Order: sequence, then C-alpha cells, then structure tokens
Amino acid sequence: MNAAFWILSAMSLIGALLAISLRNLVHCVLSLILFFLGIAGHYFLLRADFLGAVQILIYIGAVAVLILFAIMLTRNVTGTEGPRELFGLGWWTGLGTALIVAAVVWVTVDSAPQAATRSPGQAVSSVEQIGKSLLNQWVVPLEVLGVLLTAALIGAVVIALEEVVRRR
Amino acid sequence: MEKLYQLLDGCKWLANVPDSLLSAVAIVVPILLIITVFPGIFAYTTLIERKALGRVQNRYGPNRVGRWGILQPIADGVKLLTKEDIVPRKADKFVHLLAPILAVIPSLLLFAVLPVGPGLVPVDLHIGILFVFAISTASVLALFMGGWASRNKFSLLGAMRAVAQVVSYEVPMVLAAVAVVMAAGTLSTVGIVAKQSGGFLSVTNWFVFQPWGFVGFVLFTIGAMAESARTPFDIPEAESEIIAGYHTEYSGFKFALFQLGEYLAAIAMAGITVTMFLGGYNGPGVGLKYIGPLIGVGWFFAKLMTIILVIIWIRGTWPRIRVDQLMAFAWKVLLPMSILNIVAVGLWHYMESKLWAWLVTAAWLLIWAIVLTKIGTAQNVERRTYRYAT
Repeated sequence: MNAAFWILSAMSLIGALLAISLRNLVHCVLSLILFFLGIAGHYFLLRADFLGAVQILIYIGAVAVLILFAIMLTRNVTGTEGPRELFGLGWWTGLGTALIVAAVVWVTVDSAPQAATRSPGQAVSSVEQIGKSLLNQWVVPLEVLGVLLTAALIGAVVIALEEVVRRR
Repeated sequence: MEKLYQLLDGCKWLANVPDSLLSAVAIVVPILLIITVFPGIFAYTTLIERKALGRVQNRYGPNRVGRWGILQPIADGVKLLTKEDIVPRKADKFVHLLAPILAVIPSLLLFAVLPVGPGLVPVDLHIGILFVFAISTASVLALFMGGWASRNKFSLLGAMRAVAQVVSYEVPMVLAAVAVVMAAGTLSTVGIVAKQSGGFLSVTNWFVFQPWGFVGFVLFTIGAMAESARTPFDIPEAESEIIAGYHTEYSGFKFALFQLGEYLAAIAMAGITVTMFLGGYNGPGVGLKYIGPLIGVGWFFAKLMTIILVIIWIRGTWPRIRVDQLMAFAWKVLLPMSILNIVAVGLWHYMESKLWAWLVTAAWLLIWAIVLTKIGTAQNVERRTYRYAT
C-alpha cells in the first residue's frame, strides 16, 4: 500500500515536472500521459476503480490523443526557437494560480463530511452510486453539460464547414 | 481464481505450505498462462491466416517448414530475432524504442478480465468492460509514438490515419457495449457471461439471439476490426499507399512486437465479443458435473477461433475501403445505429412479454438499418478536381 503510494506519487510528480520542463512538445505530452497514469493509479489505490478507469479512458484515451493530434498538425514541434521563459513573469502567474487552486481544494476537502470518516479498504460499488446520484441529484447539471457539449460540437462543425466553403 | 483456490485446498500435501505462497502461486499461474497461451495462439493464427489467405487466393501458402508448414511460426520467430535492428539516424531513439513495448502491454492486459471457463478468470473486476475500453484506448498511443518517432512521412501519415480511425470507431464500439451492459445490469465480464447461461442447451440465452444483441454484435465486430486495423479497415498500414504505415521504420524484433501487439489485441477483442454476445463459455454440456468446466473452456476457444477465422475470411475477400468512406461509415451509419440500439434495449427491458419485445425491437432495428444504409451510402459525387496536378 505504502510502497505503491510512493511509486505512484513519484511517477506523477516526475511526469508533471517533465511535462512543463521538456522542450519537445511531443515529449511533454508523453510525460503528461505518465502523470495521468499516476493519478489513475492513485484512484485505483483509493478503491475508486470506476474513476480510475474513466481517468485512463478520458484523459489518456481522449484528451492526450487529441493534444497529440493537434501537435502533429503543427510545424515547430521541437521548440528550439524562441526564448526560454520558464522562470519569467509567467512563472509568478502560475504560482499565484496554483496557490488559489490549492486553497480552494483545501477548503473543499476540509469541509467535506465523508472524506475523513470512510475507512480505507472498504469496497463500495462506486459505479452504481455514481450512476444513481448522476440521474437523481445531479440530473439538471448533467443535462446542462450535455447541451453545452452539443453546442460546442455543433460550433466546431460550423467553423470547419466555413473554412471548406472559403477555400473553394 | 476461485476454482484454483479450491483445487489447491483439495490437495492434502499442500497443507504444510504457507498461505502467502499459495496466493502467490494463484497470482503467478494465471499470468504465466496468459503470456504463454495467447502468444501461442498468435503464432498459429499467423500460420492459419497465411494458409487461409492462400486458399482464398488459389495458392498453397507456407508448406516447406515441417509438414503443412507447421513449424513456420518458429522459423519466422528465429528469423525476426536474428535480423538486424535498424533505427533511423534522425529518429527519436527513446520514443522509437518505447513504442513497440507499449504496443504489447495493453494487449496483454486485456486478457486479465477474460473469463475463459466457469470460474476461470484472472481478475473479476466489477468494472471489467470499462477496463477493457480504457486499456484498449492506450494502444493508439503506441501507434502514434511509433509513427511520430520514425521521422518518416509515411510513418507519420500512418500514425495520423491510425489515430483518426481508432478514435472514430471507438465511439460506436463503446455504445454497442453499453447496450449489453444495460441488458446485463453489470459491467463485470463474469456477470455478463452468467446472464447468458441457461436456456435450451445453454445456447438460447446468448445475447446474439436478441435483435439488439445481434445488431450490437455486428457493430462491435466491425468496431473491433477497425480498432485492430484489420482489412478492410487497414488504412493505417495500407501497403499500396503508405508502405507499412506507422511501422515502416521498424525491423527485427521490434517489428515482431508490433505484430504481436496487433494480433493479441485482435484476439482479445474477439474474446470480448465472445464474452459479451456469444455467451462466453456457455454451450451444450457446460453444466456437466466434472468435465463441464473443461467443455466450457473448449467452447470458449472454439468460438474465439471461429471469430478469428471469419475475420481472416473477410480479409481475404474484401477490398480496403477509402479514408472518406471509412469516416462516413463510422459517423453516419455505425454511430446512429448504436444509439438506436440502446433505445431498443430500453424497449426490450420495459416490455412485459418478451416475444412482443423481440418482434418490436427487431422491426425497429430493421427499419433503421435499412434507412441508415440508404442515407449513409448515398454519395453526391462531385467532379473531382486535382489541385496539385498540372
């Protein structure tokens, strides 16, 4: 348990650090995938295996592949040009953002009631619980998200169509 | 696993062996079986494929190494192992090395949730089907990495085609599986097989005999063939267009690993198809007292090999489809059909009389299948313009 935790944490941290420090964009995405895998492993360790599988399915199978696809279509992948601004102004902006996010997460986790009470190793059928709460308690946000995603999809199609018409 | 434990418990001489050793054995044995049996099936699938293709094309196929060419896979393995491993000078060495390894690992992991017989499943995950899809999406990364790291335009083209194809065909495949999950009420592969047991000769309860199950079976098989890049969906490695696609720059055993990963994924997907639609290990005689589990294993592998043979048959007889046809087929025919199939499962679930449910869902799916094939295959063919030709 502990060894797995440390290995996964090291994996995630190394992946995240490599993702922001490497020069080659494709290498960055591959290390980002390492990071996603580490997070999925953490979910499995917490017995949230549904969440872990979904993490792999969506973040590695969809998001990372989408980023890779976008990078394949760009010209300068190796990133040898341009100044190296890792510790410039952007660094301080990033630090501020990270602090704000960390504060919000801290407050949320601290105020959540069940987080501390559930003992580790207690197997719960997370799929059923998630399904039931999605279709009872959270049905309106779910539908709104569905409409939002559909709108985004149609918007993307419209943008792509316009370009085809213009080219002819 | 459970059966194995019972078997081990039954042996008297094992009473002195510590429990930790027994559980270690129970973990190691399924892993050893997976990494020996399925690559063995892979080796002989290549031989069967070459023989069957030869038969289709009116020639002999391999027949020199041993009787009926039976030692051909071993000769191939030795040849690939002793071949020089060439890496292009401009290639991204590390990613180039990592890609074939990553091609094999997800394919082997898929077998972890495959119930090959009653109680014979390495891990009974209660999210089994989801695990299968999560793992099989990872295989597209290997194709991309191999294609990109080779620094070869044909490799990159193959990688782009592979990514586009796998991402498109994944959607109808997952939706076809959703229908099964809805009907079985569980994501576990063992639970899905258990739902299909019973009935006349342990056959009539297979999901493939329901209208939605049949449609799901067809959709899933097409999706699985496209995902493992088998002909007629082999445009990522179309040899007449882009040499060999993403593995153009691979030789020796790295090439063999790509082949191994691809075939293992196809075999695993055939196994998942058997599990979800063809009743898994259920078949006549599976309920017998002592030899029942053995018969079940026999039925599972018989069904698996039948599906593989059908896939080889399709490869031998159908031409490769074009890229635009491929995409149009996925998004205009398969995707709407799989969503309508989910509606059919809903109808089937809530109708009291199963006979009426059968007829209604069959009619519903048949009408839509006809409509969608009419719409999806209708092409408003324009005059082609060749922009770069003079």
